Amino acid sequence: MTESTDPGTSETSGRSDGEPRTVLPADERGLLDAFDRLRPQGTLGWNFDDAVRRLVEPIEAPGRPAGWGGLPADLWQRGRATQASERVLGDVVQLLAQDLTEYTDRAVEESQQISANELAELRRSVFDAIRFLAARVEQLESSSDPVGLRAGQLDLPNFSGSEWSGVVAGRTASRSDLPAMMGELGDDALLSALAGGDVRVEGVDPRGSVAWAADAKFGAGSGQIDIVFADVADHLRSLPDASRGCVVLAGCVDRSDLARKMDLVDQARRVVASGGSLVLLVTDQVAWDDSLGPVVRDLLPGRPLHPQTWLAVLGHRGLTALQWKRATTGSVHAVVAEVGR
Amino acid sequence: MSGIHLFVPMLHIRDAVGEHTRALRDLLVAAGVASRIYTETPDPDTAEETRPYLEYEADAQPGDVLVYQMATRSDMADWLANRREPVVVNYHSLTPPGYFAPWNNWIARHQARAASELRRLAPTAALGIGVSQFDAAELRDSGCADVIVIPVVNVRIPPVEPDAAALAGLRATGEGGPRWLSVGRLAPNKAHQDVIAALFVARATTAPTATLTIVGSPSEPAYARALRRYAADLGIGDAVEFVSRISDGELAARYASSDVLVMASEHEGFGVPLVEAMLNGLPVVAFAAGAVAEVVGDAGVLLDAKGPRRITEEVAELLADPKRRQSLIAAGRGRPAALGLDRAGSDLVAALRRVADGASHAAEHLDSADPVRPTGPLSH
Repeated sequence: MTESTDPGTSETSGRSDGEPRTVLPADERGLLDAFDRLRPQGTLGWNFDDAVRRLVEPIEAPGRPAGWGGLPADLWQRGRATQASERVLGDVVQLLAQDLTEYTDRAVEESQQISANELAELRRSVFDAIRFLAARVEQLESSSDPVGLRAGQLDLPNFSGSEWSGVVAGRTASRSDLPAMMGELGDDALLSALAGGDVRVEGVDPRGSVAWAADAKFGAGSGQIDIVFADVADHLRSLPDASRGCVVLAGCVDRSDLARKMDLVDQARRVVASGGSLVLLVTDQVAWDDSLGPVVRDLLPGRPLHPQTWLAVLGHRGLTALQWKRATTGSVHAVVAEVGR
Repeated sequence: MSGIHLFVPMLHIRDAVGEHTRALRDLLVAAGVASRIYTETPDPDTAEETRPYLEYEADAQPGDVLVYQMATRSDMADWLANRREPVVVNYHSLTPPGYFAPWNNWIARHQARAASELRRLAPTAALGIGVSQFDAAELRDSGCADVIVIPVVNVRIPPVEPDAAALAGLRATGEGGPRWLSVGRLAPNKAHQDVIAALFVARATTAPTATLTIVGSPSEPAYARALRRYAADLGIGDAVEFVSRISDGELAARYASSDVLVMASEHEGFGVPLVEAMLNGLPVVAFAAGAVAEVVGDAGVLLDAKGPRRITEEVAELLADPKRRQSLIAAGRGRPAALGLDRAGSDLVAALRRVADGASHAAEHLDSADPVRPTGPLSH
């Protein structure tokens, strides 16, 4: 699976017609790939460099002290369009820049002199904060992805969890007074099963291609399904305690490393209300290993845990009514647990 | 007095859909038909000539026809789908969301929703008008039962004269190498980066002093910035000029002072710059995506693939062969008539009048509170 964004386009071709980029000689391919690296999604450096450049480069604007052009109008939007870690950076930059804008606006409005030293100090503060944040983000990214390959860019298997549509629908309906959350979306079979129900469902996926395709299919005209383009763990962290009747995790619980797996279930446990359910759709280890080439197998940060391991982990975390539902028609097991009342 | 009113999400000047809409309004008014432009979001540059679409309710008259200029998502689409009046969808192509997803996920989702809106609106339309066969096919695929093709009405025939001062200035500058021109919004589907990459190859091989001018507004800022950075990273920043917000005369001067129009766009519903180039005697090398092949015909060099070397070679061969170049220029001057651009305005007004006649007929037989949408396809 690639980060393809349209049935008609792909990262390898970059075009909807004509020859795929892969048939081009290596030097031409490299030339075109260089442009792809400038895309905001998938690069930390671009957003960071660009934000700093826009802060540093003098922009003349009437009524403002020289050297400050105000808040980039599209900063928020660009921040929301990027990967989760970059989005954090974008949001913080926006807040800092907003403060600086308000400060300078107030100074101008009140006809106060703002000295060059004061302005320089403010800017230095903003830059230091950005540098600090950027360093932290890069540090975090390098620790989670030491090879420099994002897991989402690797060709991963995509097994369908459709055999568990009934289980998921039943668990969701058991706390129909609260919304449910599903991340990631896979082949959207489960989301389709929930589309006609009475429960509001958030479908979360960090892949823009999957998220907007699901949004086009389920989001428009439906009050029941909200599609969220976000990292699943990030989104879980944004939710209040005990605010969801059911959380279904798939995909992300297979490929991520052990620490992230535990973080996901800890966040999900926190978010599920008492009497609600946590459903893990876990790919069978043998089917997973058989489907991978050696490169992906070697470089992926994690592999699916055995359902028995999940039962032990979830039991240790205080979840109850633990069940392992074995895959029969597919290659995905369901591990189901409840949060005690 | 009933009228044929135009609905467009935003009305922009120097924008293909905006200029088409304004030109159509002027044609209708000149033909004695009442016509106003309604928008969802006002553009400060055109706010004086538009009204908020929700105010149409107070203006509505029996026998009105509503024409939706569709190229993007808008709340207007669902609103129009539920109107009593006959709705005509004048379709200018929706850029597939995939082109925007790596640059701006919000716009990608916006475009995905636009496709959903089209699928809801198209089956209810009294008539669908595609500006090309390519667009007409998309309209039919979306469920529009009655579809015709009439090209855009904002192509100036004869073309605007080049601004003399601008032309003189352009001719006095440059290193004397081939001047490539690419015209189109700085949006990812236009694939300007492929032309920049080809220029890089050209300067490294056959044409060390070749230059490129890209004329277009930065509709996706992140993409526009990346284009500039790409050129700079390749070391050809000085050879690539980005130009926007120029007058028609200045654009004509760009056509007149260039040696070739190079278009690498991967999704074109029509491609006004292709026609403008041909009208201005500029040969075209273009990637045959979307409606490009039907617009260019045999009057330009059409590429079925566009690796940087391929583009470079095609441009070099064309510029090295004056006889072929002149032949293509001559063929290009005949394309607008072949495409029906010279009669597009009258064709479009006539088509809309036929819908209006049907609506008036229906209105005479129905109480004003009843639906007046024609139930069957119209004959043309």
